[in-house]
Amino acid sequence: MSRPSAPERSPTLGLLLGLLITLSAVLAYSAYITWQVTGLRKLQTELVDRNRKDSLQLLRIQNDLNLLAVAMRDMVSSDEPYPLTAWSAQFQRIRTDLDDAMRLEAGFAATSRTPEQSAFLTGSFTQFWDAVDRIFALARDGKEKEAREQIQLSLQERQAALSTAVARLLVQNSENEEQAGQRIVRIYDRVQRQVYVFLAATLLAILLNGLSVIRWNRRLFTRLAEVSERRSELAQKLIATQESTLRYISRELHDEFGQILTAVGSMLRRAGTHAPEGSSLRADLQEVLQIVQTTLESVRSLSQALHPVMLDEAGLESTLDWYIPTIERQTGIAISYEKQGAAFAVDGSAGVHVYRVLQEALNNVARHSGAKQAWVRLRFLADALELEVEDHGVGFAERPNKHGIGLVAMRERSELMGGQIVFSRPAEGGTLVHLDVPREKVESYGKEDHSVAGG
Amino acid sequence: MAGVASCTQLPRLRALAAQAAPSPGFRFTDVTSQAGIQFEHNSGAFGGKFLPETLGSGCAFLDYDRDGWQDILLINGTDWPGHKKRRTTLRLYHNNGNGTFTDVTSRAGLDVEMYGMGVAVGDYNNDGFPDILITCVGQNRLFRNTGRGTFVDVTNGSGLGKREGFSTSALWFDYDRDGLLDLFVCNYVKWSPEHDVFCSLDGKHKSYCTPEAYRGATCWLFHNRGDGTFEDVTAASGIFDSSSKSLGVALFDEDQNGWPDLLVANDTQPNKLYRNQHNGTFKDSAVEAGIAFSSEGKARAGMGVDVADFDNSGTPGVAITNFDNEMIGLYRLNGKTFEDIAPQSGVGIASRNSLGFGCAFFDVNLDGWLDFAVANGHIDETVRNIRGNVGYAQPPQLFLNLGKGIFREVAAEVGGSFDQPKVGRGLAYADFDRDGDLDLLLTTNNGPAYLYRNDQLGGNRSIRFRLVGTKSNRDGIGAMVRVFAGGLTQSRLVKGGSSYLSQSELPVTFGLEKRDRVDRVVIDWPSGRTEEYKNLAAGRCYECTEGKGIVPQDGY
Repeated sequence: MSRPSAPERSPTLGLLLGLLITLSAVLAYSAYITWQVTGLRKLQTELVDRNRKDSLQLLRIQNDLNLLAVAMRDMVSSDEPYPLTAWSAQFQRIRTDLDDAMRLEAGFAATSRTPEQSAFLTGSFTQFWDAVDRIFALARDGKEKEAREQIQLSLQERQAALSTAVARLLVQNSENEEQAGQRIVRIYDRVQRQVYVFLAATLLAILLNGLSVIRWNRRLFTRLAEVSERRSELAQKLIATQESTLRYISRELHDEFGQILTAVGSMLRRAGTHAPEGSSLRADLQEVLQIVQTTLESVRSLSQALHPVMLDEAGLESTLDWYIPTIERQTGIAISYEKQGAAFAVDGSAGVHVYRVLQEALNNVARHSGAKQAWVRLRFLADALELEVEDHGVGFAERPNKHGIGLVAMRERSELMGGQIVFSRPAEGGTLVHLDVPREKVESYGKEDHSVAGG
Repeated sequence: MAGVASCTQLPRLRALAAQAAPSPGFRFTDVTSQAGIQFEHNSGAFGGKFLPETLGSGCAFLDYDRDGWQDILLINGTDWPGHKKRRTTLRLYHNNGNGTFTDVTSRAGLDVEMYGMGVAVGDYNNDGFPDILITCVGQNRLFRNTGRGTFVDVTNGSGLGKREGFSTSALWFDYDRDGLLDLFVCNYVKWSPEHDVFCSLDGKHKSYCTPEAYRGATCWLFHNRGDGTFEDVTAASGIFDSSSKSLGVALFDEDQNGWPDLLVANDTQPNKLYRNQHNGTFKDSAVEAGIAFSSEGKARAGMGVDVADFDNSGTPGVAITNFDNEMIGLYRLNGKTFEDIAPQSGVGIASRNSLGFGCAFFDVNLDGWLDFAVANGHIDETVRNIRGNVGYAQPPQLFLNLGKGIFREVAAEVGGSFDQPKVGRGLAYADFDRDGDLDLLLTTNNGPAYLYRNDQLGGNRSIRFRLVGTKSNRDGIGAMVRVFAGGLTQSRLVKGGSSYLSQSELPVTFGLEKRDRVDRVVIDWPSGRTEEYKNLAAGRCYECTEGKGIVPQDGY
């Protein structure tokens, strides 16, 4: 209750920081994944696909070289009745395809290929075609035999060398592909590992953030409870002070001024008997006596209003029996009062609280609702005491000053009794105040009779 | 008004009806036996699984006696040396003009034993009577028509002798436009019984080899000197290619410049498009034209080939039959290159599981759109053990052209048990009964030949033209005939060859639907001369003689 409440740091900053860290982690991870995927794609398109395309072109070159080999075999075998020049169109067709394949291949060639390798390949092909041209020139000159020998001696050898060179490049491509494949596997492994790390980190961040939120919430709730407790305490003290003050004033008014005024009245009455009958003095004395009498009644009435002694002496039920016709008379509002259930004793401060709630509610009816009729229902239920005050005038919603201190006091009193107060709008309009206090609270509260009575 | 509206909607309604209602508008009847054709192909198979056994053989329609009725020539093989059990020869059936044929092989002097594969018919000496080249495993044979119902073997005298090969399809055409038919012969691979390779599917039993097992063989081009002899210009013309494994050849004018070009279907090797260079040489442009390989860049197993203006665009379209698991290639000229439209045309999917050989574009229902027939059959009797959905005998297919490059397969709907599975090879068409529509001849490997008579059910008409060249070659081969009739424009090239090992009749037939006239006929002769005739009545055949005009015949 009296715990020192040090000024607490706002949790917003911490929570925002947590959120920021989590978001940053997600962003960082997305960026990382994007980077890895881009790398993979690059590797795949630039290396693997390129390599594959290059291999396809190399296979095309290889195929063309095979076609050349078959053609040369046919040329050498001389089982065709045609001169060697007949093959020139076939060679030209293959050459066209080879040139196209070589051009494409050069575009796809792996970066690992050295300029020397490229130069060797191009040079070898140039030499081959030079040799082909020479052989066809020989054939055109009618030197068929010499041309055939040249095919066997030089051309077939060159073709074989080219074929070997291309085969080697294919092997190299295959190795490159294998290496790229391994690199891809490594990247996948790394990404997988990092996915796990990231997931763990994200989970940790979310956990820490969550824990921090929980911690801050708990602190907040504790503080809220403290504040509420303090406020309640304050309200109780206020109400107790108010009640004791009112009781004191009421008692003083009743006892002191009542007695004084009664004495003054007796004295005036006695003095009146001494004054001659019909004299103006006697008339004046009579008049003063009247004033004293009226004052006495006013004092008693005020005393009752401030704290009905009846409550202490006759209990709530009787007090209401008295109070309601009184207020009806004072305000001119027709009040239908009904009681239900077997009455039980409502004593001490609980009675005061219920009475005050009723008083405030009826005051509100008189002052704000503009209604000419009100209903008061007191129900003694098996486990609770219910009080209802209903009017069909202007409801809370329509009133300019909605939340007066009166309502707060009503709520406080209800809470002090451990009860519940509900303000609602009946179907016909106006206001319904419903107070519900558990019976054991009313009774126990009444028996203990601590704060209010003790003041 | 209602009448006008219904008239304008009629073609659309009819097209819709054609698509919705399955009636193809004609009927096939198998008239083989009632026509008196009793032919059984002898592949010579004795268990040795020699490669040529599974590939033959072809057939042709020709009017060898010029009586106006198309006769039938069926090519045959023989027993292999060392395994001789019977004597078999090709068969020439004379058309009696009454739906029957008479076997005149002996009378015509054609009962000569040879391992025949294909046939090319052409009047190479311009005497008005068609001569016959038989492609063979071994020595090809050239038979000159004497004009008296007989033939004389002029192989050696013509300069075609002393030349062994494994020849397949062949065609006559005038590549140098000198008015004399030259000869183009496809060769498959370098094969002889002595150099037969042992191939096996199961590792135990011998099976037929695929062509990869053998070296390729160049096609031959023989220039007609005009004196009855031929000069081998294979090398000089640039045709020579020792890597080719050719099975089919078609004549066409790819660049429409009047100079005949050739399309050669190669088995497992790129197809060849020999563009005529106008100077006696050719240049292979198949790769640039996009027809050498499949669209995936693979050299397919090209078998038969035909070229025709099947979309009535005035430009040639191409069909190449391929192995099973390979679609038929159906190409349309798109700019300067060919585009394979088989997958979207309905022909591709339907031909995936069949091995096509002979094929031909012809207007079977005379609706003005060229339809497409294919003879199917596998080369391996045990194929079903390996590929459950592919049989050795396979149904022939008939694709109706619905226009807009869409075809519908109707073989099962045309009657005559046309779709009965067969080991189909050769395929040719002709109007043998002169009723104005085109009948089909189909040969099978080691089996009978089939003659299907076509009868129109919807009353569609046609117009036919028989060309006689004077300055051009006598057969008018290479002439382009274009017909304009009531909004319909069609073109046909007079050509031999095409299909597989076979040759269809030389007269050209145009389906006209219900039209009774054609507005205009334009003939571009190989000589360069163009002739035009107007307002011709449908329902008959016309004989067009170059430079002399047109003579309507009595009926078809």
